Amino acid sequence: MAEPVLLRRVGHVDPTRLEDYLAWGGFEALRRALLRRPESIVDEVKASGLVGRGGAAFPTGVKWEAVARESRTPKYVVCNADESEPGTFKDRVLMEGDPFVLVEAMAIAGHAVGAEEGYIYVRGEYTRAYERIKNAVEEATRAGFLGDHILDSDVSFHVHVYRGAGAYVCGEETALFESIEGKRGQPRQKPPFPTTHGLFGRPTVINNVETLANIPPIVLHGPEWFRSLGPEDAPGPKLYSVSGAVNAPGVYEAPMSVTLRELIEEYAGGVRNGGRVQAVLVGGAAGTFLGPKELDVPMSFSGLRKVGAALGSGAVMVIDEQVDMWEVLLRLARFFAHESCGKCYPCQLGTQRQLEIVRRMASGRIRYQDILRLRDIQATMADASICGLGQTAGNAILSGLRVMGLDVS
Amino acid sequence: MTKMTVDWQRVDEVIARWAPKGRAGLLPCLEEVQEITGWLSPEVSRRVAAGLKVPLADVFGVITFYSLLYERPVGRVIVRVCDDVSCFVNGSQEVVQACRTYLGIEPGETTPDGMFTLETHPCLGRCERAPFLMVNDEEYGPVRGEDVPRILDAWKERVRSE
Amino acid sequence: MHVIIDGQRVPVTEGMTILEAAEQVGIHIPRLCYHQSLTPAAICRLCVVEWEGARTLVPACVARVQDGAVIHTESERVRRARRTILELLASTVDLSEAPDLLAYAAELNADLDRFADGARREFPVYDDNPFYIRDYNKCVLCQRCVQACGNDMQFTYALTVSGRGFYSRIDTFYHAPMPETTCVFCGNCVAVCPTGALKEKGPFPSPQSPVPNARPSEP
Repeated sequence: MAEPVLLRRVGHVDPTRLEDYLAWGGFEALRRALLRRPESIVDEVKASGLVGRGGAAFPTGVKWEAVARESRTPKYVVCNADESEPGTFKDRVLMEGDPFVLVEAMAIAGHAVGAEEGYIYVRGEYTRAYERIKNAVEEATRAGFLGDHILDSDVSFHVHVYRGAGAYVCGEETALFESIEGKRGQPRQKPPFPTTHGLFGRPTVINNVETLANIPPIVLHGPEWFRSLGPEDAPGPKLYSVSGAVNAPGVYEAPMSVTLRELIEEYAGGVRNGGRVQAVLVGGAAGTFLGPKELDVPMSFSGLRKVGAALGSGAVMVIDEQVDMWEVLLRLARFFAHESCGKCYPCQLGTQRQLEIVRRMASGRIRYQDILRLRDIQATMADASICGLGQTAGNAILSGLRVMGLDVS
Repeated sequence: MTKMTVDWQRVDEVIARWAPKGRAGLLPCLEEVQEITGWLSPEVSRRVAAGLKVPLADVFGVITFYSLLYERPVGRVIVRVCDDVSCFVNGSQEVVQACRTYLGIEPGETTPDGMFTLETHPCLGRCERAPFLMVNDEEYGPVRGEDVPRILDAWKERVRSE
Repeated sequence: MHVIIDGQRVPVTEGMTILEAAEQVGIHIPRLCYHQSLTPAAICRLCVVEWEGARTLVPACVARVQDGAVIHTESERVRRARRTILELLASTVDLSEAPDLLAYAAELNADLDRFADGARREFPVYDDNPFYIRDYNKCVLCQRCVQACGNDMQFTYALTVSGRGFYSRIDTFYHAPMPETTCVFCGNCVAVCPTGALKEKGPFPSPQSPVPNARPSEP
């Protein structure tokens, strides 16, 4: 496997020490970025082809450009560190192992789009990550990499670190803004989009942790280098969180040409106890199950879309034949019912009914009516929910039933 | 349950620190205050609302929205067992069962002496260490059912000696 | 500027919503949480329409017109969503005093018993002040009352939504009875409630309260 980019420092540096980060090339990208025009940085991010790593896969450079063009101030850069998608732990690993890269990336983003304030919103249950990020912000500020006149330039950038308080829905960008603003984490209607009306109603860049971790390398090595890491339509390194019935669960960095089978067998040590794959949940609870005959799919956004799945957060949860799939579906249904914010009817009502129906089916009573009801619930949530939580809440259930052999067409 | 008196001085210090941010300081203020008081009683919430100038009803709406904020008393020690997909695949059920047996309560309940609250929790993001257990801010994983008595015994000792 | 709604070319002006544009040509788009005196919240999703080229259905109460947009207010996708929402709602709360909703449901051929095996949201009736009762068995969580009490009308902020998900509810600070809140008994919340969950008390029956006095209940 090639030299890691995103995981380069993880496990090799003391994540609490700025000196270690500097010794490994830290803040060199920021130094260079500050000497350049903001437009050139935006152009470089656009040219790299980097797309969001949180699940939505929106082109990062396009997002930055939209905010850079806004004349209303103040503008904000927000790091979405609310990682709560089941089976996903790559952001946690980055934050615990290389927290300074986030600080550097956000300062670069601030310079590029004209924002002087940033917020990092860390999931409430990630105590160690929060401590390390807070420490990184404090150390960086003390050393002049954050604050007023960074490295004696005209650029100022201050970072506030917020903790979430146990709500998966706050990983949705507009719900995250509501949460920082001191309200219930209920998503807002889009449009308007965060690029024009984001945090506090201002132009806002909001990026996932892993997305931001790609920024310093892009600034240091250029977009052509970035494009060389991975297939043409899916450039850049990607982190995959692999867990479940595997021998070596963990975060693995690979180009997006890697297949699901390779991730499971070569990276994660294969199925435990010499067992066999029953199903693989790709993309977390918001994702889709693939069956044992569908493992040769490339793990890119377009590759998975072609087989009716979605990469999402890059979570891979392996279910072997020892596991009762009904128990898995029950937990997924319970997850969405527990996490639905309760604002819009399709999701608030649909996730509850979905759970009740799955519970009944899991206890052995399966009626054809149940499949029809689940399909209508899934379609209504997908078509009419306000946000991605509701829109994806029925996908894992229906695809899980399909992999189990039930006809859900 | 053991009634704890509120350290108002510390609480007021936290509120004063967040007051300049107004509503935008509500979430961090509630989190920090809860670290002092254990849970957010009407009296405590009223103080926060007044200090940050946020309507009372809104403060209550916020507290009840978030899983980690408590509008009712909880134990000194909160035991969170992940029972989500990867932890389940790796045997979280026996950990949940061991906690239920040791504590004598169901998930969602608090022990009569007010020491422990047990919760099953959605994915805690430590799937590479499944099955995973959090006790207050401390992490345990991978955990087996037989580890639970030792872990919780140590916490009992810790609380008693405080 | 124009849009095409159900095949009809509708002249529109910048800033108009799809709902408003449709009204202009006599097309009534079903709605629940929408109220002309309140900020549209796009909560109920009954007003969703199909906007050609958009990935999901779009709430007509907040979506603003774009020149040349082609909209369908009664496509199969739209009707399926509306029908399912009403079926889900009917299994959760008491819609007996929401004739508009029942009429929509009938037109969509909704089976209001479809999810009857599911949990309902049930509450004791709150009769804690001389002016109105709160019967949340009929509450559809449209949040109109919270809006009216707050930023849209009264700026009194006695009401909130508490909890999360299916078990969210309209509430006060730690469930306090209304006289112990900032409520000034202005009646705006009662006036905007679409389902009879909030009803005036008083000597005379009003359209919202078919009986002269609210029945006694637990606190």
